[in-house]
Amino acid sequence: MTRILFSDKLDNCVTRWQSAGFTVIGPVTKDAFSSYTAVEHASDFDLGIVLPDRSLKELFFPQTEPMLRYTLKQQSINTEDFTPPSGKKLIFGVRPCDAAGLSIDDPLFGWDYKDEYWFQRRNNSVIVTIACTKADDFCLCTSLKLAPDSTTGSDILLRPLENNNGWHAEELTDRGREALLAIEEFLQEGSEPTAPMAVVPEMFDLDTCVAWLQNPENFESKFWKDISMRCIGCGSCTYLCPTCHCFDIQDEGDTYSGIRRKNWDSCSFALFTMHTSGHNPRSTQSARWRQRIMHKFNYFPGKFSVNSCSGCGRCSRQCPVDMGITETLQKISTLHS
Amino acid sequence: MITQEKYRSKVKKLLADGSVKMVIGYSPGSTADRRRPLFIRSFEEADQLVLDSNCIANLSGYLVTEGLLSDEKRVAIFLRPEGIRSLNILAAESQLNVDQIIIFGFDSIGREVNSLPGEHADEFSEFIGSIKENPPEKSREPLLYQLEQMNPQERFAFWKEEFSRCIKCYACRQSCPMCYCRRCVVDSNQPQWVNTSSHTLGNFEWNIVRAFHLAGRCVGCGNCDRSCPVNIPLRLINAKMSEEVLGSFNHFAGMSTTQEPVLASFKKEDSETFIL
Ligand code: SF4
Ligand code: SF4
Ligand code: SF4
Ligand code: SF4
Repeated sequence: MTRILFSDKLDNCVTRWQSAGFTVIGPVTKDAFSSYTAVEHASDFDLGIVLPDRSLKELFFPQTEPMLRYTLKQQSINTEDFTPPSGKKLIFGVRPCDAAGLSIDDPLFGWDYKDEYWFQRRNNSVIVTIACTKADDFCLCTSLKLAPDSTTGSDILLRPLENNNGWHAEELTDRGREALLAIEEFLQEGSEPTAPMAVVPEMFDLDTCVAWLQNPENFESKFWKDISMRCIGCGSCTYLCPTCHCFDIQDEGDTYSGIRRKNWDSCSFALFTMHTSGHNPRSTQSARWRQRIMHKFNYFPGKFSVNSCSGCGRCSRQCPVDMGITETLQKISTLHS
Repeated sequence: MITQEKYRSKVKKLLADGSVKMVIGYSPGSTADRRRPLFIRSFEEADQLVLDSNCIANLSGYLVTEGLLSDEKRVAIFLRPEGIRSLNILAAESQLNVDQIIIFGFDSIGREVNSLPGEHADEFSEFIGSIKENPPEKSREPLLYQLEQMNPQERFAFWKEEFSRCIKCYACRQSCPMCYCRRCVVDSNQPQWVNTSSHTLGNFEWNIVRAFHLAGRCVGCGNCDRSCPVNIPLRLINAKMSEEVLGSFNHFAGMSTTQEPVLASFKKEDSETFIL
């Protein structure tokens, strides 16, 4: 026996969660553009899309975030920290690849320094994931050893019912249990047939790719130039990626007062590695694209034992010149080590 | 109408007799409607060439890739009328030697592709003049009329809402053939002219800088608008600026390889008594 949440009770749940102090967030489409956005009612959700255009990471790692305010008077320097907002969030209708993205980045933000901005938000959030019954040509979770019903990174996994009128609810963590407890009266015991999962064909053999990337001889391979010739170095693949996490620290203001901010940054930009001297160790776009791939599938797993890609496909979906992880890894998987 | 097959053999001929070292065109993309930029240096690559109405992107920006033309060899490129205009501007602004470029001009009406006669940029000047005089029958964006009807506060609110989504990825800049600066003003941090943060103020600063730098230079190819990952209607800003420049200075961007840049030149009959 499992518990079922019927769609017609969803609005009651949203209200209940809100009165329990959660800001309820979920996929919302506005002007043909979708993102995880705070809602008032369940009817604001757009649960029919494959996945939102913007990824989940920005709710935990915003594009720009103030860290401290400084003022300088005569001989004294004052600084005042901005602490991350402490409010509780419940994010409903997350896709498995977005949820996995968060757990991929956890070790990174908690490695030598524990990033309080990330973890305070992580600890105050409940991730309610809905398994996918529909995918598009760009979805590649299965190639990354994940799946349309992966539980990685989720607190609750909902499996759509065959009749499309609700979900089987599976609690995965303590936070998930509490969130289900809050809406207990709207859940029904029972067992109904669930809808078939989306079919996401495997596009490449990941282990073959990783072996090729780990071979130091391939660092200077001609392949990198050929594959990335058309890359224009816009950072949009990295900015929409649920796992890309690079940032820059900038002071905005003048000598006497200002704000220190943490802003997204991207390895696709020439400026990212530019030295003060003018020398740039990654002076070509192909060196930058190689870095993105090496980082995701060689350096990051070398350090944290997990690939820095959850297979959402956003990088390929929106690239202005139709590049992306899929094409690159597909080609690598056909090269000989 | 000229077929894709004929283009493939033309491309092969140019490569075989050494007239060009590379042809920049389009190949199939990851979905049925997508086309990718293609750099043809071999016969195998020539066989990937496609030319159809889905070939939309303006490829002229690739011509100023660092080092591409420095060996003085020639490059051929597939360009729509807007692409030819942007090539003219690149030449007029001394970014390339136009004699190194062979143009495969094309246009499409519905699904049908037509080739434009000519090869050297100068051969298209008359054709571009005719576009200025008789702009093609495509209706002006309805949203532009709506924006004009708004009062300044409403218009500000409209753009504030749009720019609030900007993530400062700079895809608009990178995809624009006119944004060729090796170091953009927003990348300069000594001093930091423009905030790097993508908060509302920083996003306004960036988009206003972009609008002004493209006034009288934008050819309306739509690369920026299509590449913006958060769907900001950037085309509206550029279209409005183009209309203003045409109205005030009778300047239509990219008429010829020698056209003076409108906002960087001064004429005695200009109404202003100063240059900014
Ligand atoms: S990549 Fe997989 S998990 Fe992500 S939306 Fe597509 S099917 Fe769902
Ligand atoms: S791969 Fe595509 S999205 Fe990424 S930087 Fe290059 S052009 Fe931009
Ligand atoms: S690299 Fe691409 S497919 Fe992988 S998580 Fe990032 S955006 Fe998604
Ligand atoms: S492409 Fe769009 S999101 Fe990116 S910097 Fe330009 S306006 Fe902003």
